[in-house]
Amino acid sequence: MDRKAQRDVTGALQGTQQAIGGAVEAIEQTKRVYGTTLLIRGVLWMATYAASRALLEVVGDQWLRIAISLAPTPVLAWFLWAWVNGLSRMDELERRIELEALTFAFPVSIVFFATMGLLDVAITLDPNDFSLRNVWLMMPLLYYIGLWRAQRRYR
Amino acid sequence: MARAAAVPVKNRLKVLRAERDWSQADLAQQLGVSRQTINAIETEKYDPSLPLALKMGKLFALCVEKIFMLDDAQ
Repeated sequence: MDRKAQRDVTGALQGTQQAIGGAVEAIEQTKRVYGTTLLIRGVLWMATYAASRALLEVVGDQWLRIAISLAPTPVLAWFLWAWVNGLSRMDELERRIELEALTFAFPVSIVFFATMGLLDVAITLDPNDFSLRNVWLMMPLLYYIGLWRAQRRYR
Repeated sequence: MARAAAVPVKNRLKVLRAERDWSQADLAQQLGVSRQTINAIETEKYDPSLPLALKMGKLFALCVEKIFMLDDAQ
């Protein structure tokens, strides 16, 4: 293997090691700040959300459908409340990282949704792919991208 | 009005920690912060807040200026 290839492999291995180290640290931080609270509430919310989506495929009555669609909302609020409360248990750098993550995610979300909105007016986007039921997932995705960027900055 | 440039700060935290044979985790636990925070301060990617800097001073029995100093080279 020539020297350049060797350097590339070494660099890739170091990068992988750093990424694994970062992930381990993130998991340790989550355990320290949140214990199992966030995990339990998150799992409960995902279960109620999945059940709600499944029931909405078979239930016909309009008022019942509205009730089913609203059922996961208090569970989601309960889950997010645990996340917000965790901020007070973070140290100063961890709180700065959270702020930087949100400072990335919020404006990028605005750009994304504003652009999608106008595109929908221009060409009517496929509702199976681009309706609210799916695009909201961009928000937590952008938050995690922001978190990764911020954590990398201080590693 | 033009915004003032960020002032680079150096520190001797790694040296002081090594003198006492403390790991980053040991120091983090004593200061009540995460190991990530200690690492970021030592690598000069993060400057601690005043309360944290004062806690460090108290822990090492040094005044803050003996731990943190402006980077005159920059």
